[in-house]
Amino acid sequence: MKRRSMIRGTTSALMLSMVAPMAMAQDAAPITWWYEQANPEAQGYLQTILMDPFNAANPGQNLTIDYRGNELDKQLRVAMLSGEGPDIVYTPGPAYVASMAQAGQLLALDDYAASLGWKDSLLPVFLAMGTYDGKLYALPKTYETLGMFYNKTMFAEHGWTPPTTIAELEALADTMLAEGIIPMAAGNADWRGANEHYVSLVLNSIAGPDNVAAALRGEIPWTSEPFVKAIDTLNSWWQKGYFGPDYFSLTGEQSFALVATGEAGMAPTGTWRFESINPYFPDAGTEPGFVGFPSGEGVPYPIYALGVGSTFSIAATSKNPDGAAAVIDYVFSPEFYSAMNTVWQGEWNMPLRDLSGVTLGEGVLPLYSEAMANLAAAVNENQYGYTTWTFLPPATNTYLISGIEEVWLGSITTQDYLAALDAQFQQELAEGKVPAVPASN
Amino acid sequence: MHRLFLVPTLLINALIILIPACLTVVLAFYSWDGMSSPRFVGFGNFVRLWNDRIFWRAFENNLIWLLIFLTIPIAMGLLAATMLLVAQRGRTFFQVIYFLPVVIATAITARVWQGMIFSPATGVFGYLQDLGVPVINPLTKPSMALYGVATVDLWHWWGFLCVIFFAALRQVPQEQIEAAKIEGATFFQMMRHVLLPGIRPTIILMMIMTVIWSFLVFDFVYILTQGGPAFSSEVLSTMAYRNAFYDLNVGQAAAISLIISLLGLVATFFYIRVQSREGDQ
Repeated sequence: MKRRSMIRGTTSALMLSMVAPMAMAQDAAPITWWYEQANPEAQGYLQTILMDPFNAANPGQNLTIDYRGNELDKQLRVAMLSGEGPDIVYTPGPAYVASMAQAGQLLALDDYAASLGWKDSLLPVFLAMGTYDGKLYALPKTYETLGMFYNKTMFAEHGWTPPTTIAELEALADTMLAEGIIPMAAGNADWRGANEHYVSLVLNSIAGPDNVAAALRGEIPWTSEPFVKAIDTLNSWWQKGYFGPDYFSLTGEQSFALVATGEAGMAPTGTWRFESINPYFPDAGTEPGFVGFPSGEGVPYPIYALGVGSTFSIAATSKNPDGAAAVIDYVFSPEFYSAMNTVWQGEWNMPLRDLSGVTLGEGVLPLYSEAMANLAAAVNENQYGYTTWTFLPPATNTYLISGIEEVWLGSITTQDYLAALDAQFQQELAEGKVPAVPASN
Repeated sequence: MHRLFLVPTLLINALIILIPACLTVVLAFYSWDGMSSPRFVGFGNFVRLWNDRIFWRAFENNLIWLLIFLTIPIAMGLLAATMLLVAQRGRTFFQVIYFLPVVIATAITARVWQGMIFSPATGVFGYLQDLGVPVINPLTKPSMALYGVATVDLWHWWGFLCVIFFAALRQVPQEQIEAAKIEGATFFQMMRHVLLPGIRPTIILMMIMTVIWSFLVFDFVYILTQGGPAFSSEVLSTMAYRNAFYDLNVGQAAAISLIISLLGLVATFFYIRVQSREGDQ
């Protein structure tokens, strides 16, 4: 073989070897998924734990994830309206699903749920949440709850025990205030929506989940006495200074760090905050604890208010709905749950009914595994509450967030706040924008 | 034939401005969540706004913003521009320094002020508090939040006016300045009778543009406070944004946008009148 033809032959072989996988990828049916913001490390996890293994296991499919930042919901809405959205529709919660399903933009998932066994493998309450007009349109990617982190080391030094009733909580908070400790670390400088974490807590743990469910179904107004009592209590905590002097200046993470350093004693917040334990507690030489938020009179303890951070649906215009369903099914496997939660906790708590097949890596905090197991058990026994960001329609929820600041800062009364909230809610209820509420506890 | 040259720009204008603008006007009379079919509600959106106390607070905040930006940055810009005119040494250096905040991206400016200046945890204010100086993050107090945001925008904005005014001052005929000097005019007399009348058209233009821009203010308010706390720094544009993208009430957002546009249109009318008067002279 002449030298020139050898080079030509080698070049052709090289080009063929480069082009072949590209051609294969082009032949595979594309599945598109728009994801929210994710840092490079998280994008790496999605590549190695989701995309690569899924595409390898499904040669006919080609899953790609497009990172759209924290304005994903707005981009998604515009794209869905023009029929140009991704195959996997990743919404910020059931409230968005209701509007999209109402507009006919989503595919009903009942057939996939039956054939892929989702009705058996997922907690039933979450299937109910994704239902609109009797059909299943969404499944939660992750579920979360609210509870109370606390500085275990500080509690041990003072001989304090985590409170289980509101009376105990207030007594402890007053003691902390007297000692110059901020009772409840909190801040909304980076996320104004943090306000609703506290509103959700008092609605569920003081007014009680039964009343919240009744109000969500329109059976009682939001101006009812239990809600007045709940908001009045929350306002009294604000006025006494339980949330510290810098609520509007601190970010959620900055305020949480105060618990680790002992400047604050407790942090009523969500399970997503588990990811902030390692950056702060080991350095401060303290140990964290996590318990359910204390309950008021007549409300069982603990009440875990259920929240769905984001949901999966399939676009009605999807050209590859089977592929999209296969991706969703892959995400709901115990193997994916184990691998993802080992490296990235708090964001991938899929509502699997049976966690016995899940094995988390050694680096995972036992506190996290314990909290998630407690939560799954409570939900399985139908003992749960309702977070406002999951169950309230959009305009009611934005008012709930902004309006509570008016109560705290003395611009309006609790009664004014709840009356405005109720008026907005009744309007959206009449328009069919209230997400599905699971059966009563 | 030469009219054909207008076609590309007219086409772009129609697609990007005219059609969306017309759609916004139409949507202002509809109830629409951005997803399902719009429903005609007549003047319903405007009636709701009329009865909405937050709308009036936002409107009032826009007026306060307008008053602040019609006075403080224009006065600062004029003062610094005349100082640049008088001082020969270091003129270029100070022009660059004054103009620098204008070229920094809004989001960066806002985050720097929020995190490195105002924050009690990570900012200069926190350091001062540790030293016992009783400073408060203005963004957290309803009575101060709007002024706190305005301070950041002022810092970012006044240098632009300074450079514009300085460029205009340099166009004032040298003979008039020399004549005033020979007549023995003081600095303030020179300002009053020579320099300010010389750049009057520029000042008026900047004031009219300030009126239009003041009703469009959005970025700094949204990044720093999102209109809070307790709606205390809400302006019309943040209210429209909240309605459109959080409340899923696009029709009402369109109604607010229409009101913002009408207010801007009034200022534009005066601008065109002033322009045509200048042209007649």
